Amino acid sequence: MSSYRRSKPPGGFKAYVDFVEFEERPIDVPEEIEYGKAEPQLLPGEIVIAEANNVLKFAPLKTNKTGISGTLFITNFKVSFVTSLPVDSKEAEMHDKSLQSHFLGVHDVCLSEVDMVNQFSEGFTKKKRLFYNAPLPPRLSGLQLVLKNLRMINFSFKFTPAGEDLRVAQALLHHAFPPSIDHLFLSCGYPPPPPGIPDFCMAQDWERELQRTRCPNWRVSKHNEFFNLCSSLPTVVVVPRDLLDAQLEQAAQHFQGTRPPVWCWGSLAGAALVRMAQISPSITDKQQENRMMGLVHRCHPKKLQPTILDLDQILPSLKDIQISYIKLRELHTPDDPSQFWEQDRHYYSRWESSRWLSHVSKCLDVAQSAATAILHHNSSVILQESEGRDLSAIISSLVQLLLDPQARTMRGFHCLIQKEWVSLGHPFSARLGHTRNDVEEQCPLWLLFLDCVYQVSVQHPSSLEFTSEYLVALWHAAHCSLHSSFMFNSVNARHTASAVLQRENPHQPIYLRPVWSWWAESYNPPGKKQNGPSEDNLKRSSSREAFLNVHYIQNLMESLSASGAFRRISDPLSSAYHTWHRIESLLGGAGSLPFDSTATVVPLQLDASLRVDVTWSSLKPWQDCFCAWVSEPATLTLNELESTLKRSSPTSQHWKHLYQMYNTLKNHLSEGLTNGVIA
Amino acid sequence: MFSGGGIEKKGKIKGISQLGSISSSSSTGGTTSSSSSSHSNKSGSSSSCSNNSGSSSSGSTPPGTPPHVQMASHESLNSESKSSSLNSKLGHESAGSPSAGSPSPPKSACSSSSTSTDQQHHHQLSHVLNATSKMTVRDGTRTLRPDEPSLVPGEHLEGTAREVTYLCPYTGPKKGTLSVTSYRLYFRSPDTDPPFELEVPLGVVSRIEKVGGANTSRGENSYGIEIFCKDIRNLRFAHKQENHSRRMVTEKLLQHAFPASHKLPFFAFEYCEQYPENGWSVYEPIAELKRQGLPNESWRITRINEEYELCETYPAVWAVPAAASEHDLRNVAVFRSRGRIPVLSWIHPESQATITRCAQPLVGVSGKRSRDDECYIQHIMDANAQSHKIFIMDARPSVNAVANKAKGGGYESEDAYQNAEVQFLDIHNIHVMRESLRKLQEVCYPHIDNAHWLSNLEATHWLDHIRCVLSGALRIADKVESHKTSVVVHCSDGWDRTAQLTALAMLMLDGYYRTITGIAVLIEKEWLSFGHKFAQRIGHGDDRHQDADRSPVFLQFVDCVWQIMKQFPHAFQFTEDLLITVLDHLYSCLFGTFLYNSERERMEKEVKTKTVSLWSLILSNPSDFENPLYNPATRHHVLFPLTSIRHLCLWDKYYCRWNPSMRQQEPVHIRFKELLHVKGQLEKRVDELRKELAARQTHDSPRVASAIV
Repeated sequence: MSSYRRSKPPGGFKAYVDFVEFEERPIDVPEEIEYGKAEPQLLPGEIVIAEANNVLKFAPLKTNKTGISGTLFITNFKVSFVTSLPVDSKEAEMHDKSLQSHFLGVHDVCLSEVDMVNQFSEGFTKKKRLFYNAPLPPRLSGLQLVLKNLRMINFSFKFTPAGEDLRVAQALLHHAFPPSIDHLFLSCGYPPPPPGIPDFCMAQDWERELQRTRCPNWRVSKHNEFFNLCSSLPTVVVVPRDLLDAQLEQAAQHFQGTRPPVWCWGSLAGAALVRMAQISPSITDKQQENRMMGLVHRCHPKKLQPTILDLDQILPSLKDIQISYIKLRELHTPDDPSQFWEQDRHYYSRWESSRWLSHVSKCLDVAQSAATAILHHNSSVILQESEGRDLSAIISSLVQLLLDPQARTMRGFHCLIQKEWVSLGHPFSARLGHTRNDVEEQCPLWLLFLDCVYQVSVQHPSSLEFTSEYLVALWHAAHCSLHSSFMFNSVNARHTASAVLQRENPHQPIYLRPVWSWWAESYNPPGKKQNGPSEDNLKRSSSREAFLNVHYIQNLMESLSASGAFRRISDPLSSAYHTWHRIESLLGGAGSLPFDSTATVVPLQLDASLRVDVTWSSLKPWQDCFCAWVSEPATLTLNELESTLKRSSPTSQHWKHLYQMYNTLKNHLSEGLTNGVIA
Repeated sequence: MFSGGGIEKKGKIKGISQLGSISSSSSTGGTTSSSSSSHSNKSGSSSSCSNNSGSSSSGSTPPGTPPHVQMASHESLNSESKSSSLNSKLGHESAGSPSAGSPSPPKSACSSSSTSTDQQHHHQLSHVLNATSKMTVRDGTRTLRPDEPSLVPGEHLEGTAREVTYLCPYTGPKKGTLSVTSYRLYFRSPDTDPPFELEVPLGVVSRIEKVGGANTSRGENSYGIEIFCKDIRNLRFAHKQENHSRRMVTEKLLQHAFPASHKLPFFAFEYCEQYPENGWSVYEPIAELKRQGLPNESWRITRINEEYELCETYPAVWAVPAAASEHDLRNVAVFRSRGRIPVLSWIHPESQATITRCAQPLVGVSGKRSRDDECYIQHIMDANAQSHKIFIMDARPSVNAVANKAKGGGYESEDAYQNAEVQFLDIHNIHVMRESLRKLQEVCYPHIDNAHWLSNLEATHWLDHIRCVLSGALRIADKVESHKTSVVVHCSDGWDRTAQLTALAMLMLDGYYRTITGIAVLIEKEWLSFGHKFAQRIGHGDDRHQDADRSPVFLQFVDCVWQIMKQFPHAFQFTEDLLITVLDHLYSCLFGTFLYNSERERMEKEVKTKTVSLWSLILSNPSDFENPLYNPATRHHVLFPLTSIRHLCLWDKYYCRWNPSMRQQEPVHIRFKELLHVKGQLEKRVDELRKELAARQTHDSPRVASAIV
């Protein structure tokens, strides 16, 4: 048996573990039984690095008895556990609601998801963290993986042939904590992600945004084309119309991270939302800062004074947020049932003392006051923050979520995140700890933002097109390297990584898949053979039902069922027509999200803004996210599969009726169209 | 109906639409549409509000804000969530009333008015409205003054005081007229548009106190009365000293709120509404036992307690092991506290495993034994062929069980009872529960301390107790369902914790009890017939508000039901509205259902013939309580809810319903009702169009059309 199974030439894999280390296997490894046939599903370019046989996997808080036996593989992409035994229902459910379910199996974990690796002794009496740069103990009885999404998986090596445990652990530690991003498995080549998803790295996307919002007096500057102006901004930025590129360059030098103020959103009345860095600490004169503010001021058609929000002053520091997160992580990753119950007794007060909800409340509060300034006072808002890449991303996107109905749609939310987070350079890698060097700078701002959106969805259950489960999926997606939207510190870093990969694999196309391609992938799973269409359809509808907000679509349907709207449904100029096409693209069989770049730009209307109640008692702990993986330790001896009624989704019946309505309408329309009558 | 006693009937729409524009310090603002921005400017600029919210949420509502906020409490969110949905609707027409069943008030044109909100408040209301409309028909000769309440049949006006100020903790003082009837307190303030109205059934009142003396009161609104309610509210009214109205009001209130203390009958005996269904016949003990498959070879039905002699707190009809003779029963009764011997509550239709309930054995310090009792427990075990073991679930913490030995009680020793395993379920006594609810009330009413909301909530231990009760019931259900083993449940007297446990375990095991009729049967059987002392625990009509026998045991049970409902939204035929209605009338004394302590007392007082049953109301209006999401296939499933605290939450729609700053989620079932309505509408339109099309085609080219039609 060769120690490496290669599905294809090594692809994007860059080996930095010495090959020879694994070449000599102890002879006493039994060339084993049927387990030997277990093979992980490999993507193009993915290779197996180490494997261990007869491994027991068990969910946390479960005894060894409930473990399932299988083979553990470490590849350059994932930790894969291969077994023929049935899957835990909870894991299966979470897998169905994952955006990566098409290339990660139910037992698979992407390497970049791994947060901590612990070894534990028999019976879980001792636990010790393992580090990539520290020596391993001579024998491991078990490994515990703690993932960045708070999932825990335990593997026991009780029956594993000696030596395999260490090899697996070593490979895992080496590959899960890479020295730089391009060591991650970022590209599996085929097929290319669907085109046409706005990424806000191109001038056209920003131009469209300006056109859509109709915010006057701003222009697109391409002065950052080679990232010479600022390495963390995209190649195009939107700046005041009166600002010359040369002045822009001069101004940039005065700001931290050489980030000049940039426009990110605005209204027809002229109020603009601007993100601006603080002036560099080494520079004492505030001339450039004042000049920039003056320019923002002058951009306003009514020359109203802009509102300046100093986020460093009014929001908690990144360190505080990280401390809160660590507390919540502890609360949701108990080691054993007794710890679970101990924590459970103080569950709500621990939530409170973590202060996480207070951070959520502050973010929403600041976003709300910014939204009020724009909506009611028609005042431009400048969000100022040290480098303008962290908290300002949260506030800026929340403001738009509250004011801009488009940001509440699936597609609009993609655009929002792509614009505010990815393109404007939120340092995802540093904040989420994607490399071994990023440990110090970690801070889950992304999660904080999603939690804020969750609170909006709780308070306005039918105003977002997506569900809180989608937000959970986005949080999980931020750790999976193959969907690389949330892997890099900036657009520039992404280009660099892509170039490095291309240089190493000159004959292969390199595609960095944006996470937004999941919709299309659910039709064409990358690197996998086509399954039977029926199974695919089933899966598609289940993930859609999980991610699309049934109440939102119900509203769309309601607006159609009104008699006036209903008659105009086939009139391309009516709003009913557009509503119908929205519904069709969501419920119908289209293979890609409606990223139709040819569609006419629908101008922004500020007539349906949301208000959020930010008092703490109105904010809810986000259980769907934080309690997603920890199941209650069994207090019962019952046979769960047989007798329990599954906690089914309360909206399943909604969906049934919605689909019926959809079909009624569709049939009717086709009838009407063939007869060519409806006036 | 009477949703919590207090209702404001008319014109809540307008009130709510204004609500949306209250500055967000009252944290109700849901949507600010640009059209309503002028409103928000009026009531405190909205930019300031976002800054002070959070810090000053504790009800610093500016005076002059619209009325009805208090009453609107649980409506407020609904209206907003609805309005948010309305906002996202393109060209939505206000025509589509979602509440097909219940009459819904006319909608205003303003988009932030509510539709779904009223619905639930409303359908509880509709009965009142029905009742009152009938009343006016009957009393056609006399027309009501606008500031008098409309009365239910049997109710009469006792007194009216003018120029009284209601000090609303949320929206500030309101001046108006206070009326007291034989059933309720009614306050109406015409100052606002629409008029502010408040109704409280007097049964809800637990204590009335005078505030300020004739000579000592200075300052505005310092002279008056404060009314403490059993449903988590306190109401304060200020009187003008010179009107001398306080004395009359207080006297009338005391008299009618505490009829038992004044040797007067409960209002239930005067209430004479006619309902199409007779709720008294919903539970027939024999029929229910037959439904469970009794009698069978191991269990028989006995009428040994027909005259309530053997055990005065038990029902007349029992199901007992067939192997035990009447003589045995008498002997066992001697050894069980208050003669409450183990009697069947539920039997598993397949395995024959049973749940039996009783009181503690009279073991005492000396460790007495009773051969008969041991035999009897053996009979119960033998009646189930599937298992050679029996579990005795003692609901108390083991310390309490031991301590009870000193008072002559105790628990079964495993040495004496062969094959029996005793387990303690750690549920605390009524005093602990009462204290917990008191703390909860402090936390929820009138104002919520936002900064410490979660830790304050935890410090009440309310959810802790809920968890204990639920997991105890879960353990019983598990033993019966998965181990096929019979379980004997008791606490000290077997009428508080035992009732909670058996009723909840039965609810988990048997889908019948999750129907509207079923829950009525369950409450009638496990709570009322087996002698949960409602009169003592609630203190109906009794003015001793500090009575140590009062305790929210039944409320806890209802809360547990709600927690299970929340986890299994498809498994219940009824919605939480039913639970809230039950709780409201637990206190209201409008119906005879919850009066008195035992079946025997109710027989003596002829409750069944002289009062109306709460189930008459519910069974006559089932559509108001039906859960559209109910899936009847779940009848045959067993529910095993999660019981860790992280999966439980405070039932804010009940406990925080008076607080407008507390938002509640719009229940999914209401959205579902709306959906069905829209679907119907859509189908109608399709039909219309199809006909139109056909007609047009007939007109254009008759030949083609005939082919289509």
